[in-house]
Amino acid sequence: MRHRAAFLQRWEGLLLVLLAVTVVYNALNAPGYMTLGNWINLFQLSIEKIIVALIMTFIIINAEIDLSVASVMGFSACTAGFLYANGTPMEWAVAVALLAGVAAGLFNSFWIGVVGLPSLVVTLSGLIGYRGLAYVLVEDRSIGGFPQWFNRLGQQPLIGPFPLALIIFFVLLVFAIIILQYSGFGRYVYVIGNNKEVARYSGVHVRRTKMILFVTSSTIAALAGILYAARLGAVRGDMATGFELDIITMVLLGGVSIYGGSGTMWGVLLSVLIILNLRNGMGLANLSGHVQTGVIGALLILSVLAPNVAGQVRSFWNRRRAQRMETGNA
Amino acid sequence: MNELRRRFQPEQIRELVLIGLILALALFFSTQIENYLHPRTFTRISTSVAVVAIVAVGQTLVILTRNIDLSVGSIVGFTAYATGTMLAANNDLPPLAVVLMAVGMGAAMGALNGVLVAYGRVPAIIVTLGTLAIYRTLLVEFSGAKSVLTSELPRWLVNLPPLNAFSIGAVEIRLLFLIALIVVIAFQILVTYMTWGRRLYAIGSNPEAARVAGFPAQRMVFTAFLLSGALAGLAGFVFLARFGNITVVAGQGIELKSVAAAVVGGVNINGGIGSPFGAFLGALLIDIIDNSLIRWLAISEFWRNALLGLMILLAVATDTVVMNRLRKAWVRHELQTSSASLSVEQGGARHAT
Amino acid sequence: MRKTTTLLMSLLIILSMLVAACGPAATPTPTPVPPTPTPTPQPTEAPTEAAPAEAPAEEPTPTEAPAEEAAPAAEVVKATPGQAVKMILMPKFLGILVFDQANQGAQEAHAELGNPEPLQFLGPTPENSVAGQIEILTNAVTQGIQAIMISNNAGDQIAPAAKAAREAGMTVVTWDSPIPSAEGEQVFVAQVDFDETGKVMADMARNILGEDGGKFAVLSASPDAANQNAWIAALQRVLEQPEYANLELVDIVYGNDQSEDSYNQALALVDKYPDLELIMAPTTVGIAAAAKAMQDEGLCDTVKVSGLGLPAEMLEFTLNGCAPQFALWSFKDLGYLTYYVTYLLATGALQGVEGETFEAGRMGVYTIEKDPTRAAGLRVLMGPFTIYDASNVEEAAK
Repeated sequence: MRHRAAFLQRWEGLLLVLLAVTVVYNALNAPGYMTLGNWINLFQLSIEKIIVALIMTFIIINAEIDLSVASVMGFSACTAGFLYANGTPMEWAVAVALLAGVAAGLFNSFWIGVVGLPSLVVTLSGLIGYRGLAYVLVEDRSIGGFPQWFNRLGQQPLIGPFPLALIIFFVLLVFAIIILQYSGFGRYVYVIGNNKEVARYSGVHVRRTKMILFVTSSTIAALAGILYAARLGAVRGDMATGFELDIITMVLLGGVSIYGGSGTMWGVLLSVLIILNLRNGMGLANLSGHVQTGVIGALLILSVLAPNVAGQVRSFWNRRRAQRMETGNA
Repeated sequence: MNELRRRFQPEQIRELVLIGLILALALFFSTQIENYLHPRTFTRISTSVAVVAIVAVGQTLVILTRNIDLSVGSIVGFTAYATGTMLAANNDLPPLAVVLMAVGMGAAMGALNGVLVAYGRVPAIIVTLGTLAIYRTLLVEFSGAKSVLTSELPRWLVNLPPLNAFSIGAVEIRLLFLIALIVVIAFQILVTYMTWGRRLYAIGSNPEAARVAGFPAQRMVFTAFLLSGALAGLAGFVFLARFGNITVVAGQGIELKSVAAAVVGGVNINGGIGSPFGAFLGALLIDIIDNSLIRWLAISEFWRNALLGLMILLAVATDTVVMNRLRKAWVRHELQTSSASLSVEQGGARHAT
Repeated sequence: MRKTTTLLMSLLIILSMLVAACGPAATPTPTPVPPTPTPTPQPTEAPTEAAPAEAPAEEPTPTEAPAEEAAPAAEVVKATPGQAVKMILMPKFLGILVFDQANQGAQEAHAELGNPEPLQFLGPTPENSVAGQIEILTNAVTQGIQAIMISNNAGDQIAPAAKAAREAGMTVVTWDSPIPSAEGEQVFVAQVDFDETGKVMADMARNILGEDGGKFAVLSASPDAANQNAWIAALQRVLEQPEYANLELVDIVYGNDQSEDSYNQALALVDKYPDLELIMAPTTVGIAAAAKAMQDEGLCDTVKVSGLGLPAEMLEFTLNGCAPQFALWSFKDLGYLTYYVTYLLATGALQGVEGETFEAGRMGVYTIEKDPTRAAGLRVLMGPFTIYDASNVEEAAK
């Protein structure tokens, strides 16, 4: 147990160093980086992804996966747009869109929790299916012209220089840290992720925990979808397509094991900051989108590979030294 | 029923259930779509499934070892593009050399994945999420926004897709589909009858035990990735032959399609269970739903994906429920009859749970 | 433990150096907006209203025309070369030939005007097009870029970011694909008249199907592609006219600009409608995939393919009769013209109001006009279509 804690400390230390390097590099090289406006932009441009990354952390620590989040984002945004276009007041449209997210979550957790299908299969179908529902609602239209208050929430600062979505992110972050790291429920999430069978025998409600997580995941994805609609001021069927892989990348770089049971919210927070700053810096340095994703891909691999290689090299030398000492003694 | 039980093992039954599902779907669609039960439909679906089927076989090998390969889509795109560019520059390259080149290129990219996963001890999802982006980036940088053009390719390649290998009655088996079939059968034999293949199951279902038993687990995981890359390279060649014009988006999304095919085909994402033939059936099942929905007049363009998602889910659910029932019946039966021990031994690799 | 850290640090440094090597060396701090030049007004002959609708055949040399023609306020604005404007040309996404051609045209104009700042060609990845375009636009404000040229793939979703850029003083011009609501955009440089696209497609259908007409279907890009949707809507309006009465549009399907989907959709159309005679694909990916599908299945004699395509990609299918006729415009010219419009706007020579006339280098004189194909917005119309068939496709494919 202590061993794992040490590893995690090292991991977060590594991330901290990475973040520092990124920030310093950007500050020296990217014009306009060190301004409050840019820092808010940098969050705002990916705010929906990082909100969903918070709940994805829970899911992956629980040794499950939710590939349907991006499609649920699109589905909820299109639900709101569809209802508004058909004369529903925006307040109600938003409320129903959130409920659509809850419904999607209940649907997912029915198949995962009650029928017992693997979450990968269920949410892969969801990835196709909820995107399909988004298109059923808006077809080939682009729905915009939302009321002023709705657009303002997405595009203007709410308190001081901070827009609503950013405030929501930080509030959710605090909740996520408290629940995951300091509550009984959070402990369940880790225990189940470590070993489902052991968890069941020690009286943890495995099924209920999983179902709560999947309903929450879709609900938060729906919220993120609505925030995305407000930020862009219009909805289309393709909204948020492909976000799921970006979100999973953020969580994995944060040191969360894909096999479940380990990782912390702090690590994910650091990884989010690294990715956002790196993208922002590369964007300001006029690197093309492909190079940006390539660099983040390389970073993902190297950040795990480097400690492993270092560990192997060290154990190799230790063995060599031990052998030499043995031969010396003989 | 008893006869059936004696002759088949649970995982074979799963494949029978899938075949049953496929037939049921075809029957259902034939009541909805005019002229559905026509040799033409077979040609359409068989040619369309070839690329994903080949990739899904490689994906299965990787998933059996409790890993995953998300980079295959980028490998397909890269090899299709690079092979196409070389052929456009030199039309006289012999066909065999071209295929080998595509396979070799894919194998090299797969080998890099394999080294990082097996020897670098980086989780497969991290490695292949990374190389998914990196290989695509390489392709875009390498292409300089040019496309491979059909008119620059040699005739033999452009005329490959309609080439008929042989016919069974009015049903044509096209060459590209035959390639996919050969791949499926070859790897099915490999995992069923060869030591190497059977050990894959052992590694996937219990890595610790496999290591204790002295299997070269690292090397096997490496080889699984190498083969997955090589097959993606072969699929890249098929992709090039089929579409001719290749842009940098070629092959995007194949990673998820191949994973979907494998899991629908009964390959357990936690390793150790499943077969290339199952993955092939999974790919076929998804392709039949997809290709039938776009021919179903009653279904609007916009309902297609919603229905596709639902039908995949229902197919897997049916399969799982039926399998669970059968497995329970099995266990009862095995306990009752003394012939049980015999059949377990015959089960071999398929029975690796 | 310490060894690990050292190793990691050195890895990081290598990584950051790589990043540094890839990117341009430290961009200089943004220079202030250049002083507004006062373009020397050069009176010319009054532009006739219809003139810009057709491609200006010859460059009308701005002569010292006497005022006798009573020009209605308009004078031809000319660019003052050599002014520093930081500009970005943004395609829908990278890696597609037509956008690269547009970049060539823009770079040509850039060199011609002697702008000392570099012209950046920046675009998102295909799978991240909408979010990526918004990101590039937002970052451009931070970088102090003075003008951006957008081939918009995000529909109205880019409008808030574009408005923010306008508020920050940036010149925002769209080309190839506009912002539908025109919010945040000063001028749209239209390749062709979007209504005319409908007529061109209907005419090609009539040419191919003959006097007795027949059934045809549309294979589009994705349901979200604003251009394609506008063109298909225009096509449907044209089809209502009596002279097209015997053309029947039976279906509209989407291939998502992916070869696989487009290929399968084309074959599905043939199976769904046994008496289908033509597939009209207003997308370069769709038309090529549909033509390949018809060729592979030996259907070229019964089902023809037409639409908007690249000569190089369509060469083979036009020569063998699978796609006897298709249309496109010059993306190189589009990039060139867009650069001129943007340069003139950014340097203040043009104000971006209706009725302004300007000269765009080798391409001649154009006028900013109301965009009749949208509810709001201004456009500069380039045009015209080139119709390709067996007689001219080989020349164009080179």
